[in-house]
Amino acid sequence: MELFVQLVVEALLLGSFYAFMSLGFSLTWGVLNILNLAYGSFIVLGSYLAYTLYTGLGLDPVLSLPLSGGVGFGLGVFLQRTLIHRLMNFEPFMVLILTFGLDILISHTLNLFFKADIRSIDVPYAEGSFVFGSIILSEVKLVVFFLAVLLTLLLFIFLRFTWTGRAIRAVALDREGAQLVGINPSRVFLIASGIGTGIALSSGNLYGLLQGFTPFDGGSLTIKAFLVSIIGGLGRVESAFVGGLFLGVLEIFVSFYVGESWKLFVSLIVMVLVLLFRPRGLFGGRYYGEA
Amino acid sequence: MGKHERLTLIFFALLLFLPVGLSAVGELLPAGYLLRVVSSALMLTSLALAQNVLLGYTGYPAFGGIAFFGIGSYTAGVLSKNLGFPLLLSILAGGVLSLIVAIAIAPVLMRLRSHYFAIATLALQLALAEFVANLEFTGGSYGINLPIYRGFLEGYLFYLLFWAVALSAFLLNLYVDRSVFGYALKAIREDELAAESVGVNTVLFKSLSFGLMAFVTGLTGGVYAFWITYIDPSSTFDPLLSVKTFVALLLGGVGTTVGPIVGAFSLELISEVVWSRFLELHGIILGALIVLAVLFLPRGVVGAKG
Repeated sequence: MELFVQLVVEALLLGSFYAFMSLGFSLTWGVLNILNLAYGSFIVLGSYLAYTLYTGLGLDPVLSLPLSGGVGFGLGVFLQRTLIHRLMNFEPFMVLILTFGLDILISHTLNLFFKADIRSIDVPYAEGSFVFGSIILSEVKLVVFFLAVLLTLLLFIFLRFTWTGRAIRAVALDREGAQLVGINPSRVFLIASGIGTGIALSSGNLYGLLQGFTPFDGGSLTIKAFLVSIIGGLGRVESAFVGGLFLGVLEIFVSFYVGESWKLFVSLIVMVLVLLFRPRGLFGGRYYGEA
Repeated sequence: MGKHERLTLIFFALLLFLPVGLSAVGELLPAGYLLRVVSSALMLTSLALAQNVLLGYTGYPAFGGIAFFGIGSYTAGVLSKNLGFPLLLSILAGGVLSLIVAIAIAPVLMRLRSHYFAIATLALQLALAEFVANLEFTGGSYGINLPIYRGFLEGYLFYLLFWAVALSAFLLNLYVDRSVFGYALKAIREDELAAESVGVNTVLFKSLSFGLMAFVTGLTGGVYAFWITYIDPSSTFDPLLSVKTFVALLLGGVGTTVGPIVGAFSLELISEVVWSRFLELHGIILGALIVLAVLFLPRGVVGAKG
């Protein structure tokens, strides 16, 4: 029983990180109808940025979060303007190949500079933990948990209560309709792409705190972001949270009861099944892919 | 038959005599190396032509079509290594098993379209890689070592097998391009609902197209397994191979019979030059090449409407 509670707590901590991490993926998917295969590599890029700032300047990854977010925002706007914008009128599948190319480009560039060794950001609080009765909570995981929840909340408020946030949601729901009431979709695309990439890079800081990383971690992170987005359904921050928790529970429990090596297999099969049989996710936002 | 198609057939005929020509000039040229390069080009040609039947003529992008390359490799490897099947029979079995699996999953999988279909097939490919890595009889993540082939036509056999698969794939594309079967596929590509309403059994034809792609891809995987003599999950279910197939199609022109061959040979030659000159930068250049190919040839899959 104690073990079970420990596992649930771990799943909750991990799940909240997954939820935040995936928000950028789900946002660009929902608003721009783009499946960004380079998303995971953007996260890893954030981890290396935080790593460089930490080892070079001694800047704590928590403090460099706004910086990662800003760099990510700029990168997202740049990519949208130079690359993705040109493909918006073509078959969406082309963007899939494009972002796969970007993924290869980013991971190999990181590999050129940092080599394939596992890097980790060893902050002073990396080893500490709190003990509540029989439950052990690592300090780093708690820090990541609170930051993830806080940032998710901020995004929720932004999307719900600001004019820009509402414009983004409007474009996601109905592109033509949004245009009719005076929203410029191209501008919204730029902002959504910027926010999406910003979230990716800043969750890279958190990822670097949680575990060691290599330039080639991007692929599995993209799969996770995809799974979270599709389980929850698109378009709502709350549903990403459900998806994140689902993935957290799935990973922790499959690792513990079935075996670590089956974790990815189970995630992928769940992903295909949800895609086929519950394309609206468990919580329903609308999809472009539905016939 | 068009001029380009006749030229392609002549090209295939010339390739058949390449080994003879190489042995005639003797030590002047690095014969083994050249055969290896052309073999990989023929392999990519087969994969691109297989995908062309599905993407080019039917409009479904099976981004994870390489799943069947893995199935083909592993079927061939396991059958010959564990059960002592002869080489050609194991390769054929790999193709047939791929076909059966494809036909079985197609009716459900092909309810998805465009990038949703693409991502679902990619997820299946990665799931299969994980599955194979967790099994005992496939050698887990260590993979399978196959014996080096010795005997009849040693040194040329795999070149000839790749050649035969590529030629068959080309003939298949010629058939699809101009047969009633092909018209049904093209009708699905242009407008599935309309095709359905004029009486095309879309589920059947989509599944057949998917099955043909899988069959050719599986055969190619089988030949690859014996050629390379070592297979493991990450090299046979490699997403990089998937994307190379699509880039070859984009470069050459999708939905044409000759395009995939031109694309595959040019991509393989570019890769080879880059490999030998800039080993360190290979991944970066490949990534940039993919981005550029999509940016400048976005009409590559214009026939494949979403």
